[in-house]
Amino acid sequence: MAFFLEVLIGGLMAGVMYSLVALGFVLIFKASGVFNFAQGAMVLFAGLFFVGFIGLGVPIWLSVILTLVVMVLLAIAIEWLVLRHLVNQPDIILFMATIGVSFFIDGFGQSIWGSGVSQIDIGIPTDPILLLDGEILLQSFDLWAAVVAGALLIALVLFQKTRIGRALRAVADDHQAAQSVGIPLNVIWIIVWSIAGMVALVAGVMWGSKLGMQPAIVGLALKALPVLILGGFTSVPGAIVGGLIVGAGEKLAEVYIGPFFGGGIENWFAYVLALAFLLIRPQGLFGERIIERV
Amino acid sequence: MSETSAKADGRDPSGRDTIPKYIAYNAQHRRDRPAMREKDLGIWQSWTWGEVGARVRQLACGLAAAGLQRGDKCAIIGDNRPELYWTLGATQSLGAIPVPIYQDSVADEVQYVIDHAEARFAVAENQEQVDKLLSVKDRLPKLELIIYSDPRGLRHYDQPFLRSLDSVMEQGAAFDKAQPGFFDAEMAKGSGSDIAIICYTSGTTGRPKGVMLSQDNVVKSANLAIAFDNITEKDEIMAYLPLAWVGDNFISYAESAIAGFCVNCPESGETVLQDLREIGPTYFFAPPRIFENLLTTVMIRMEDAGAIKRGMFHYFIALAKRVGRRILERKPVSLRDRLMYALGDLLVYGPLKNVLGISRLRLAYTAGEAIGPDIFDFFRALGINLKQLYGQTESTVYLCLQTDNDVRSDTVGPPGPGIELKLDPDTGEVLYRSPGVFVGYYKNEEATAETKTPDGWVHTGDAGVFTDDGHLRIIDRAKDVGRLNDGSLFAPKYIENKLKFFPFIKEAVAFGHERDFVTAFINIDLGAVGSWAERNGIAYTSYADLAGRPEVYAQIKSCIEQVNRDLASDSSMVASQIRRFLILHKELDADDGELTRTRKVRRRIIAERYGDLIQALYSDATSIAVDAKITFEDGRTGSFRANLRISDAETYSAMRKAG
Amino acid sequence: MAASQKNIGDVLLKVDNISLSFGGVKALTDISFEIREHEILAIIGPNGAGKSSMLNCINGFYHPQQGTITFRGETRKQMRPHAAASQGIARTFQNIALFKGMSTLDNIMTGRLLKMKCGLLSSALYKGPAEKEQIEHREFCERIIDFLEIEAIRKVPVGRLPYGLQKRVELGRALAAEPSLLLLDEPMAGMNLEEKQDMCRFILDVNDEFGTTICLIEHDMGVVMDISDRVVVLDYGRKIGDGPPEEIKNNQAVIDAYLGVQH
Repeated sequence: MAFFLEVLIGGLMAGVMYSLVALGFVLIFKASGVFNFAQGAMVLFAGLFFVGFIGLGVPIWLSVILTLVVMVLLAIAIEWLVLRHLVNQPDIILFMATIGVSFFIDGFGQSIWGSGVSQIDIGIPTDPILLLDGEILLQSFDLWAAVVAGALLIALVLFQKTRIGRALRAVADDHQAAQSVGIPLNVIWIIVWSIAGMVALVAGVMWGSKLGMQPAIVGLALKALPVLILGGFTSVPGAIVGGLIVGAGEKLAEVYIGPFFGGGIENWFAYVLALAFLLIRPQGLFGERIIERV
Repeated sequence: MSETSAKADGRDPSGRDTIPKYIAYNAQHRRDRPAMREKDLGIWQSWTWGEVGARVRQLACGLAAAGLQRGDKCAIIGDNRPELYWTLGATQSLGAIPVPIYQDSVADEVQYVIDHAEARFAVAENQEQVDKLLSVKDRLPKLELIIYSDPRGLRHYDQPFLRSLDSVMEQGAAFDKAQPGFFDAEMAKGSGSDIAIICYTSGTTGRPKGVMLSQDNVVKSANLAIAFDNITEKDEIMAYLPLAWVGDNFISYAESAIAGFCVNCPESGETVLQDLREIGPTYFFAPPRIFENLLTTVMIRMEDAGAIKRGMFHYFIALAKRVGRRILERKPVSLRDRLMYALGDLLVYGPLKNVLGISRLRLAYTAGEAIGPDIFDFFRALGINLKQLYGQTESTVYLCLQTDNDVRSDTVGPPGPGIELKLDPDTGEVLYRSPGVFVGYYKNEEATAETKTPDGWVHTGDAGVFTDDGHLRIIDRAKDVGRLNDGSLFAPKYIENKLKFFPFIKEAVAFGHERDFVTAFINIDLGAVGSWAERNGIAYTSYADLAGRPEVYAQIKSCIEQVNRDLASDSSMVASQIRRFLILHKELDADDGELTRTRKVRRRIIAERYGDLIQALYSDATSIAVDAKITFEDGRTGSFRANLRISDAETYSAMRKAG
Repeated sequence: MAASQKNIGDVLLKVDNISLSFGGVKALTDISFEIREHEILAIIGPNGAGKSSMLNCINGFYHPQQGTITFRGETRKQMRPHAAASQGIARTFQNIALFKGMSTLDNIMTGRLLKMKCGLLSSALYKGPAEKEQIEHREFCERIIDFLEIEAIRKVPVGRLPYGLQKRVELGRALAAEPSLLLLDEPMAGMNLEEKQDMCRFILDVNDEFGTTICLIEHDMGVVMDISDRVVVLDYGRKIGDGPPEEIKNNQAVIDAYLGVQH
C-alpha cells in the first residue's frame, strides 16, 4: 500500500510538470482558438534566457524580470510579424504559423545561449521528505512544483474573471463581434502571448531545475497534448487535472503493467490514454466543445 | 397566531371584516416582515408590510383625489405586479369595487367588461394594456381615467384622461397630508357586506358574467381555508396565475393579507419556472398543466443524463412510487423502505425538488381540470403534499379540499370547511351552501335567480357522486348526465374517460340514457393495438380488419371488465357497468362530423348515424352487418360492407374497493 | 408612422465620395450621403448593391480606397473597428456575430467593455471600486434586458437560442455601449411577422427613448417605409436615390432598379 502511494504521489508530482506546460497551450487556445505549437519551444526559450542571465551573473529576481521582458517582447514580435497579417484567416493557417514560430524561437534561443545542458539552481530544496514513518519517500522539489502550479492556477482562474479575461473569451468566440464592441484584437493577442510566455517561464524554470535546461524539453512539452485531450482544450483546471491523471497514470502503468510489456510503457501510455479518451469524450473532462480549430 | 385563527363560520374574532383592515393591521403589527417581492432588473425587490400599507394608503388617497367614489368600479388589467395588488387594496379601502380583467383579453372583451361593469377608472400595467383601452375608449363613455403603472413607451401619449400611477400616488401623498384622517375614516366605513370584487367569468357560452363577491365572502372563506391548511405568515407563494382569476385574488391578495405571508411576483410570464426555483415557495397553486410541464422537464433531463444517474433515478422513483405516498400520509412502512427512501431523498428526490424549485413546498393545490393519476402520484411519491381542490368563482374559490392524510387522484375530497354540499336527486347536480356563496351576478338578476335557489343553495352545473366515505367525485357536466331505466345515474363521459385511460382504446361512446343497461362503442388505437398485434404475430390488412379480430376483442373485453370492476366498487356507479360493446370498423373522425375539432364526441350525430348498431347492442344479436360510408382524404366518399361482432362483458356485483 | 414631430439635428456622420474595391471588383463607387442626429436612415438596394460594404466602411472593417468619412466633425481616412466602437459607433451583423458560448447577460456585458473606467490592464484585480463598477454595469445591462424583454433567457448560452432571439441579444449588446450611432445590418432578416413587429417596435423605441441615431440596412420595403425618416438607395455600388420614404417610393430610378432585380 505504501509503495502504491509512493508511486501514485510520485506520478502526480510528475503530472504537475506536464500541467505547467499544458496551461500555456490552454491560455492561447482559449483566447484565440489557435493551437499554439510553439508553446514547447517557448518553454525552452524562456528557460534558456533565464539560465543565460544567471550565467551572466545577474541576480535571480532580476533574471526573472528580464526574462519576462523578453517574453513580452517576443509576444509583441509575434503579433507584429505574424498574427496581425493573419486576421480572419482559417485556423489551420494560424496553426501552421505557430509551427514556423516554434522552429524559429527554438533555433534562435539556442543560437544565442548555446545548446548544451545547463543546470538551474534557484535554491529550491531537493532533499527527500519521508511520510508515514518513512514508508513513503517524497522529493521536496516535487512539493514545491505542486505549490507553484497551484498558485499559477489560482492566478489564472482569477485572471479569467477580470475584464481582460472576458475580453479574451470574446475574442476567442468571434473576432468580428469582439472588434465591434471595441476590443482591440492586437492588444489582446499581445497580452495572451505574454501571459503564455510567463507560464512558459515558470514551466521552464521548474523543468530546468529538475532535468537541466536542454533542447529535449521541446519534445517533452508535447506530453502536454494528451494532457489537453484529457482535460479539455479550453479549461484551465482541466489542464491541471489532465496533467495529474497523465502523470499518475503513466507511473502506475509503468510499475504495475509495465513488466508485462517489458517496460517502457511510460513513453507511450499517455498517448494511448488520450486516444481512448478521444473515443469516449472528445471534448475532454472539462472542455466546452469538440476541438474544431486545429 | 391565535389572533388570526378563525371561528367556525370564518369570522375573525378581532372583528376585522374587510381586507383593507387586515392590510392596515399588518402594516402595524408585521411592519418589518416581507409582504411582496418582485423580480425586476434581475433582482428581487421587496416591500415590507409597513411599506405596502403606506403605498396602499397613498394610492387610495390619490384615487380619491382623482375622484374615485364609494361604490365606483375600477378596472384593473395586467400581469401580477405589486402595483396592481396595491390597487386592489386601495380601491377597496375607499369602498370602491375592483374589476380585474384577464391580461390576455382582446380589446373587444376588455370593452365588454368595462362597459358592463360601468367602470369609471381603469388601472393598466403598461403600454400594451393602455393601447388596448385606448382602442375602445370611444365606445366607453363612462370610463373617465386611465392610470398606467409602467411608463415605458407612453411618453408621447398626451390624452388628458391618461395618467401615471406615480403621479396619482404623488397626488395621494399630498392629499393625505392635507386630510390626514380621510383614509382611516374611509376604511372604517367599510363592512363585511360591501362588494369586495366583481370577477368576470369566461362562461363557455354567451357573454361573461360578473360574479359579485362580498368582503364577507372573501374574508370568511379565506379565514377558513387558512385554518384548514394551517397557513401562516411564514409561508411564501408565487403569484403567477392571472390576477383576474378569482383564485389568484383569493390566495395572493386575501389569504396573504389575512395570514400575512409574502407574495412573490415573477419577472415575466416566461421566467416563472426559474423564479420559482429562486424563491422556493412553500404554498403553491397550479393547474394540472404546470405539474405536467414540471414532470416533462424532469423526464427530458433524465433522458440526457448518464447511465448511472438514470439508473439511480429510475430505481428510486420506483421506490418512491411504492412507498412515498404512504410515508407522506403517515401510514406504516417497513424500516428498510424508510431507510432507502431517506437515501433516495438524499440522492434523487432532494436534488430533483431543488431543481424544480419545490423543495420547500409543504402545500400544493391543483384544480381546474382532472389531473392525470400518474402525474399526481409522481409528485406525492416525492413527498410533495399535492392535493386537489374543487370549486368555482361563485363559491369564492373552493367547495371541496382534500385533507392532508386522505388524498386520492379520482376524487376531489370531502366538502371543505364551512361548506354544505348536496346532490340534486334528479340530475345528480352538485348544490352548495357556504359563507362564500356569491352575492349575485352584476346586473343580471335572471342568471342569479337561475343559479341561486331561494333557500340559499347554489347550482354548480356539475354532476357528481359521493363515494361511500363522503368524498365528492365530479363525473360530468350536469346537462350531459342521464338516467338508466331503473333510475340510477348514467354519466357517459365519466365512463368514457375511464375507458380511454387504456392505451388500446382511443375513443369510446357510452349509451344508457333511458335504457336498461349501459353499452359502448369502442375505437381502438391503431398505433398501440397494431404494434401489440405485430408482437403477437397477428396479421391484419386494415383498420377494419384489425378491429374485427377476436384477439383484439378479447383484449378490449378485459379492459372493459376492469372498468366494470372499478365501477362496481362505487355504489352509485354499480348500475353503469358496460354489459355489451362493439368495436367500430372505422375511426370516429372530425371530418365526418362525429367529433368536434377539439375531439369531443358528438353524441347526437353518432346516435343518428349508427342507430342500427345501437339497436343491435340492445338486442340479442352477436353480430351486425354495416354498410359504412367513409370520406376519403381527397373528399370523395365510398362505402364498404363489414360484419361487426358484438360482445358481452362480465359485470360484477357491488363491492368495496380493495386497498 | 415615423415620428414626424421629432427634431432631427445636425449632421452626425458624413460620407464623402467613398469608393471601395476588392481586387478589380468595385463594391462602392463615389458614394456620398449624410446621417443626421436622431434620425433613422435606411440603406436599401438589391442584393449585391454594396449595402453591407457601406456599413463595414463606416465602422472600420473595410478601408475605402477613396473618400473620407466624417464622424462628429472628425474626418478620417482609415479607422480600426475598435476605435470606431470607442467613438460611439455600435453595430449588429447580418449573420449574427455573438459570443456563442456566453450567456445573454455576458454578451450584453461585453458591450459595456468600453464603458468600464478601470483600464484594460489595471482592472486585473476584481475587488473594491472595480466590483462596484461591475454592479453598475450589470444594472445597466439589466435595463436593456428589461427593455428588450429577454429576461427569460438571461442565463442561457446564446448558441442555444432561436434565431430571432439571437438578433435581439445582438441588438442588446450594441445598445449596451450607449452608442451615438447604431448600425443595424438587416435586423429583421429571416424573422416571422411577429418577430419583425417586435423588432420594429424596439428600433423605434431606441430611437425615441435614447435619441440614438440609427442607420439600418433592410430588405423588407414595408418595414423600411414604415420606420425610417430617410432612405438611401444603392444599386451596383452607386447611390441612385436619397430622400424621405414617400419620395423614394416614386423615384423612377429606384423603381427600375427594383423591377430589374428579382426578389
